[in-house]
Amino acid sequence: MAAETARPVDSMEALSEKIARMRKAQARFALYSQEQVDRIFRAAALAANEARIPLAKMAVRETGMGVVEDKVIKNNYAAEYIYHQYKDEKTCGVIQEDRAFGYKVVAEPLGLIAAVIPTTNPTSTAIFKALIALKTRNAILISPHPRAKECTIEAARIVLEAAVKAGAPEEIIGWIDSPTLEMTNELMRESDCILATGGPGMVHAAYSSGKPALGVGAGNTPAIIDDTADIRMAVSSIIHSKTFDNGMICASEQSVTVLDPVYQAVRDEFEKRGCYFLKEDEMDKLRKTMMINGSLNAKIVGQPASAIAELAGFQVPKATRVLIGEVSSVEPSEAFAHEKLSPVLAMYRAENFDEAIAKAERLVADGGYGHTASLYVDLKEQEKLARFSEAMKTCRILINTPSSQGGIGDLYNFRLTPSLTLGCGSWGGNSVSDNVGIRNLLNYKKVAERRENMLWFRTPGKIYFKQGCMPVALEELRSYYNKKRCFVVTDSFLFENGFTRPIEEKLSEMGIQYTLFSDVQPDPTLANARAGVKVMESFKPDSIIAFGGGSAMDAAKIMWLLYEHPEAEFSEMSLRYIDIRKKIYTFPKMGEKCYFIAIPTSSGTGSEMTPFAVITDESTGVKYPITDYELMPDMAIVDTDNMMTQPRGLTAASGIDAMTHALEAYASMMASDYTDALAIKAMQEIFRYLPRAYEDGSDREARDHMANASALAGMAFANAFLGVCHSMAHKLGAYHHIPHGVANALLINYVLQFNANEKPPKMGTFPQYEYPHTLERYAEAARACGVKGEDDRKVLEAFLEKLTELKHAVGIKDSIRDYGIREEDFLATLDEMTEHAFDDQCTGANPRYPLMQEIREMYLMAYYGKPYHEMSEE
Amino acid sequence: MSKELLSENTSRRIYREEDRILKVFSGDFPKEEVFHEAFINARIEAVLGEMVPKVLSLNLRDGSWTLEKEYAKGRTLQELMEEEPSRKQEYLEKMLELQLQIQSHQVPVLEQLKDKMQRQINELGDIDDGTRYELLTRLAGMPRHEKLCHGDLRPSNIILDEAGAYHVIDWVHATKGNASADIARTYLILALDDKSMAEYYLELFCKQTGTKPSYVQDWLPVVAAAQLTKKRPEEMEELRSWLQICDHM
Repeated sequence: MAAETARPVDSMEALSEKIARMRKAQARFALYSQEQVDRIFRAAALAANEARIPLAKMAVRETGMGVVEDKVIKNNYAAEYIYHQYKDEKTCGVIQEDRAFGYKVVAEPLGLIAAVIPTTNPTSTAIFKALIALKTRNAILISPHPRAKECTIEAARIVLEAAVKAGAPEEIIGWIDSPTLEMTNELMRESDCILATGGPGMVHAAYSSGKPALGVGAGNTPAIIDDTADIRMAVSSIIHSKTFDNGMICASEQSVTVLDPVYQAVRDEFEKRGCYFLKEDEMDKLRKTMMINGSLNAKIVGQPASAIAELAGFQVPKATRVLIGEVSSVEPSEAFAHEKLSPVLAMYRAENFDEAIAKAERLVADGGYGHTASLYVDLKEQEKLARFSEAMKTCRILINTPSSQGGIGDLYNFRLTPSLTLGCGSWGGNSVSDNVGIRNLLNYKKVAERRENMLWFRTPGKIYFKQGCMPVALEELRSYYNKKRCFVVTDSFLFENGFTRPIEEKLSEMGIQYTLFSDVQPDPTLANARAGVKVMESFKPDSIIAFGGGSAMDAAKIMWLLYEHPEAEFSEMSLRYIDIRKKIYTFPKMGEKCYFIAIPTSSGTGSEMTPFAVITDESTGVKYPITDYELMPDMAIVDTDNMMTQPRGLTAASGIDAMTHALEAYASMMASDYTDALAIKAMQEIFRYLPRAYEDGSDREARDHMANASALAGMAFANAFLGVCHSMAHKLGAYHHIPHGVANALLINYVLQFNANEKPPKMGTFPQYEYPHTLERYAEAARACGVKGEDDRKVLEAFLEKLTELKHAVGIKDSIRDYGIREEDFLATLDEMTEHAFDDQCTGANPRYPLMQEIREMYLMAYYGKPYHEMSEE
Repeated sequence: MSKELLSENTSRRIYREEDRILKVFSGDFPKEEVFHEAFINARIEAVLGEMVPKVLSLNLRDGSWTLEKEYAKGRTLQELMEEEPSRKQEYLEKMLELQLQIQSHQVPVLEQLKDKMQRQINELGDIDDGTRYELLTRLAGMPRHEKLCHGDLRPSNIILDEAGAYHVIDWVHATKGNASADIARTYLILALDDKSMAEYYLELFCKQTGTKPSYVQDWLPVVAAAQLTKKRPEEMEELRSWLQICDHM
């Protein structure tokens, strides 16, 4: 093993063997615990820090660039700041857990990291990348630059030895001993992820390798000194940054743009602090030296100012800190406008802040996209700060901060992550815009357990019932709510026949002023509702009484809505949703102006208990179903006295409607214990009392039970919602004017059989709906209604018969055709009805997710009165 | 039949025989390269037509391969420019027009320019590993295109005949690649002779095609490295200085 480890990676073959051995080491490392990893991470960081001075000396000696003392800081930073940042961060196994939500995050290593290390920061970058790889249980294979290979390898070796000593697998860190681009490319292709620090060429090569790359690119950091800036701090910060390691940090300032009013003062300060302003001829000499055919001359990189001057053929004092060229062009043709990786700085004058920003934008566009920009300004000038940060297409925007030290994070701002690999975002052609860290070297697995959503049970705040309760309940309007002006909504039939008189008398008796709107039409329209609102606007009621069947209650709810919120947008409000809690539209708060009382006069719609209303836009014919718990009546008064005169047809149709409410709420995917109890009770009552109420309208006991059954079913479907029977009935009613209750009656038997299929092509999506269990559910309901049978299937068959008997008992016919709908009319609308029924809001709660073809087929069966057959079994 | 010797070096002699050129390769000249040259010429003839003097035959005579081509009778742009220095710019404009016309074509079978340059940089003996690494990295980051590149377009390779038609000769370096790389190559050739002419040519190209000068300049270090493989002593020092660049980091 030791002999193999020592074998240098100096050929493609040796490289591929090295990769294979490192992959094995990583596979072992991947099993290490957090404690083991943290021990290794600490030991490695300590060793790297220990070696900061020898490594710095080695780097300067080998590359001939930079400043030993500054490289010492970089090495120290790479060890200490990275350790400090991540020492307590979990990187192994389960790192986050939320038991209540059944959610875990598991961290896993990526595998083998290919690390490309530049010449400018060889040892510190090697330390940084090796440490974050260790903390994340990755193997890291380093490809040094040939000009810095000795020191890069030495840094990696020191970290490796300490890590292995602390228990890490041998060869968890590796390197290419004799780097060539061919080997670098091969390494990148064979790795799991690339950490490429380098110029555009290297970054491009990394991204072309086909492996995920965290490549980072060049900067061309512009600094602006605003006329509100602290000049001494600004100038010294820039000098401090620009001279750091002789200007080799990629975040370092390349230019400074100074606002005109402080230009001279800034210039004087630069001179006072040891910078040298170049004369015209010196600038020309330097331009020729700095750039070779538009590319940066490698010979000036990381050299002190005086050496650069000498190279260009002129002398400056030995102690000169920065060479400054006062230039005006920000175009690439100006050599000073480029990144210089040396203590050479361009200085621009700007008439105003906008001009300074424009210059900075141009400079960033030339080779600095995504990297760093800096501004010196009085922090009171937040508006300037905002304009600057908006304009800069850079991922780091540093304020009053030396950018070399500021960009790498945690030195001048303690929220900016410490890193020696700075992402430049999509602007810089990078996959990351952050300062790269351990999060980029982990795969996070999210373990999500199945959870059921919170359900609810909501009803009107007050429900009053029992024959004769209405005047008693209305008493509260005065005694409890202190209401003074009441708006009564009803239809002309009820009004003209004097059924509203008890309400009017009670209101008068209490001294409550009222206005009566009796123009509600069947299937109320927006125009109809607006006519009511117009009256309300002049009358200014503080309470509303909706008195009637479904139409009057729907119309009153819409008037209530339009009166409180005239801006209401019906198309948005009625948009189909999957989960009522996640609707795109936020319903406005109701009840600010009016208290809403619903008093039904028929036993069927259950509208007094529901937050639903349907309104038709007469100009387009579009029906808007509005659903939101804000529309729930505040009070429901179920008084049988109001129901005694229902005609037979209405008694039958609305009674069967209530039955389908109960049946669909019971089968709904959102059914709960709360709604089940109500639905079962409603079914039992309807089976028992509907035929009696139908036969003898004056049967007070039957009427009483039917009134309650309708309200119970209303509460059930106000919370569990309905299903595809209602979806289809809505459209049958709309297209062929079959009364709603009758339409439901004609379809319900088919829908029960449809839903009872135990192998449906598609089931509904809802976490509490675990498997297609609707047959079982119907059988339960049936047994509760006294149906018997040897198994669920037989029970269902008997239940269907019982339903058919009930329908016959109340005069419902057997097919849609029997209601006089002509075959050609029906067939002509069939496809459109089918699509609209599929898209009806009620479809969403149905336990079997219907295909359009299946809906179409059910329509046809119901039209001809044929026995049910299952399409999916054909 | 009279044969006029036009030029000669260790690997081949070029004769003119009436309206034909005879390129006689030395006996040890690799056969595959002879055939390659004939093949490239034939492919490019097919694409560019009249502009390219045609290959007429390829024979083995007395142990030497002889490539017979049409002779484009006329004067090279080089000669014309020397005679009429005042019209230099005009001829350069004509050269660019021809170069852009050539680049508008594709000849799929040709070698990819980037691959060829990579090979050349790897073959360079006298540069250090660091420089080679920088150059190859720079090259790797450059775009890989498919345009027909002459590879050695210079005034002496363009002939204006008496009828006023232009002919482009010497296609042996043709590749498919990035137009800016081909322009950089011409820039380098011109610059070794007269920097201002090279600058003018580059400016003209950038203006006409809406290209950023840096897009062409970025190719110069790798183009210079490729040119170094020709080992022309008079160019070495200048070319070496072109290589000392630092890919920004």
